[in-house]
Amino acid sequence: MKILIIEDEKTLSDSVVEYLTTEGHLCEAVYNFSEAIEKIELYEYDCAIVDINLPDGSGLEIIKKIKGNQISLGIIIISGRGSLENRIEGLEIGADHYLTKPFHLAELNAHLKSINRRINFSGHNEITANEIKILPEEHRAFVHDKELKLTKKEYDLLLFFISNKNRVITKISLAEYLWGDFMDTADSFDFIYTHIKNLRKKLLKLDCEDYIQTVYGVGYKFDLTIG
Amino acid sequence: MKLLTKTTLNFLSITLFIFLFGIVAFYFLLRSQVDQNINLELDKRKASIIKQLNTTDSKNRIPPNPNERIIIDVLTENNQVPDIIYTDTLIFDVVQHRYIPFRKLGFIATHNDSKIYIRIFKSLEESDLLIVRIFLVLTAVVIALIVSLIIMNRITLQQSWKIFYNTIKSLSKYDVNKHEQFTLQESDITEFEDLNNVIQTMTNRINADYLNLKEYTENASHEIQNPLAIINSKMELLLQSSDLSENHYKAVVDAYEASNRLSRLNKTLILLAKIENRQFPQSEPVNLKLIIDNQLDLLEDILESKKIQTKNTIQTNYSVTMNPYLAEILFANLIKNAIRHNVEKGQIIIQQTANTIKIYNSGPVLKIYSKDLFKRFKKSSESSESLGLGLSIVKKICEVYDFHISYEYEEMHQFIVKFGD
Repeated sequence: MKILIIEDEKTLSDSVVEYLTTEGHLCEAVYNFSEAIEKIELYEYDCAIVDINLPDGSGLEIIKKIKGNQISLGIIIISGRGSLENRIEGLEIGADHYLTKPFHLAELNAHLKSINRRINFSGHNEITANEIKILPEEHRAFVHDKELKLTKKEYDLLLFFISNKNRVITKISLAEYLWGDFMDTADSFDFIYTHIKNLRKKLLKLDCEDYIQTVYGVGYKFDLTIG
Repeated sequence: MKLLTKTTLNFLSITLFIFLFGIVAFYFLLRSQVDQNINLELDKRKASIIKQLNTTDSKNRIPPNPNERIIIDVLTENNQVPDIIYTDTLIFDVVQHRYIPFRKLGFIATHNDSKIYIRIFKSLEESDLLIVRIFLVLTAVVIALIVSLIIMNRITLQQSWKIFYNTIKSLSKYDVNKHEQFTLQESDITEFEDLNNVIQTMTNRINADYLNLKEYTENASHEIQNPLAIINSKMELLLQSSDLSENHYKAVVDAYEASNRLSRLNKTLILLAKIENRQFPQSEPVNLKLIIDNQLDLLEDILESKKIQTKNTIQTNYSVTMNPYLAEILFANLIKNAIRHNVEKGQIIIQQTANTIKIYNSGPVLKIYSKDLFKRFKKSSESSESLGLGLSIVKKICEVYDFHISYEYEEMHQFIVKFGD
C-alpha cells in the first residue's frame, strides 16, 4: 500500500515509517499541514495516517479535503487529544480508525491491514497464512480447509497475530487490542495466556503448525517461518 | 449560639438585673415618700388636735376625720409615758373583718390640767393601694419598653445580618470545581461590605489559581502524550530487532512496560481532568440495564475465567439522565472493581431500587479504610499493577451529576450509587 503519514513529531513519524516499511508498504512522511495538502493534491495514496494537531492547521481539515478528492482512501487518525468530540468528528467525516497517542505500532498495523482489505478487495477476500485461511467478513477461520471453531476473542487474537506475523507482539498491545483500556492489572495477562492456550490447542487439533511462539518476558510471535 | 440570641440574652439579663434592683429601690423610695407625707399629715393633725383640746371642754369631742381613729388615754402617775413616735401597726377592722394597716402617732397633751396620751391612727389602705398601682403601672411600662426594645433590636439586627448570612450561605455552597461565577449581595453596612469585598477578591484569586493549575496539568498531560508515543514506538521497533543480547532485551522490555504504565496513567489522569472540567456536556436518558449488560458481556471471558456468577436485576426500562459515555465509564469501573477484588467462584449482584443501584461483590474483607476507597492512588496492595484511579473516576463522575456514591459492608461489599434525592 502507498501510505501518507502526516505527523509533526519527526521521531514518531520515523518509527511508524520504519515499522510499516518492513511490512512492505510504501511510506511518505510530511510534517505539517501545507506539505500534506500539497502531497494529497499531487499524488494518490491508499491510506493516510493523520495527526489532528499540526503546527499550521488541523488534521480534520486535511481529512475533509482528502475525502473530497478520493472517497475510498483509508484514514487513521492519531491524536494526543483523545476527546470524545474529536473522535466522533473524526469518524463522522470519514476516518476509519481513531488511535489515541501513545498507541502500539502493532495495533496501527492491524488497522492498516483491515483498511487494505477494504480497499483492495472490497471486503470480498480471504487472508491466508500457510495452512490458515480467514474469511474476515464472515468471521470464520479454516485450517487445511477445515473450519476452526473460535470464540470472538480467539478469532480477534488470530487475526491480530496474522496481521502482525513474524513480529514480536507485546502482551500489553495484545491486551489493549482485545479489551481496550481495561487491562490495567497484572492478572490481566493471565486472561491473554488462557486465550492463547485455547487458540493454540484448537489450531494444533486441526494439524496446524505450532506458530505461536512465546517470547520470554515480552509476549508472543506468530512465526510463519517455522515448518 | 447565634450572635442575635447572644446579644438578646445579654441585653435581657442586664435589663432584668437593673429592672429588679430598680424596682426594689423604687418601692422603698416611694414607700418612704408616702410615709413622710403621712407623717406630715399626722403632725398637722396633732397640731389641730392640740388646738381643739384648748378650745373644747370635753376631750372626747374631738371630731375624727375619715380614715382616722383617735384614741385618748388619761395618764396617771404610774403610766409610763411613751415617746412621741411614728409607728406602723395593724388594727382589726370589725366591719371589713380583716387587719388594716395604720400609721400611728402617739403624743402627750394637756387637757384641763390633766395629762392625756393621744394616739392618732391614720389608715394606710389608700396610700398602699396607690403605691401598688404606681408600682404596677411602672412595671408594665418598663416591661413594655424592654420587650419593644428587644423586638426592635432583633428586627434591625436581623435586617443587617441578613447580608452576612447570605455571604455564609454562598460561601458554604462555593465549590471551586463548579465553574460558577461567585457573587455576593451588596450591603449598606460598611463592615459587611468590606467582608464581602475581601471574600470576593479571595475567591477570584482562588478561581484564577485553580484554573491556572488545571490548565497547566492538562497541558502537561497532553504534551506528555507525544514523547510517550515516541518512546513506545521506538521500544516496539527495538523489540523487533534480532541483534539484541538477552540482557539488553530484558532492559528494553522493562522500560517498555514502564512507559506503557505511564501512558495508561496519563490517559486516566487526562480523563479525570476532562470529567472535572465538565467536558462531557451532552446528557440524555441512558438505559442502565443495557449499559451494565453490555459491560458484563465485554468482560464475559474474564468473569468466566474467574468463575464469577453475575446477576443483573435492573428493570429493562430503568434510565438515568447523564452523558452516555460517562455512564459507560462509571459502571465499567464499578464492575471492573467488583471483578478485580472478587474471589474465584465469587458473585456479583447488581440491584436497583427507585433511585439507587447497588453493586455487590463477594471479595475478601478490605485491607484499607473504607473512607479512603475513593481517594486517588489508594490500592489494596502495593504490588498490584492497578493504577488505583478507577474508583476516583467513579467518584468524579458522581460529583458531576450530584449522584451520591457510598460503600457498605454487610457480608458482601456494596457500592451504592444514589441518583438525586
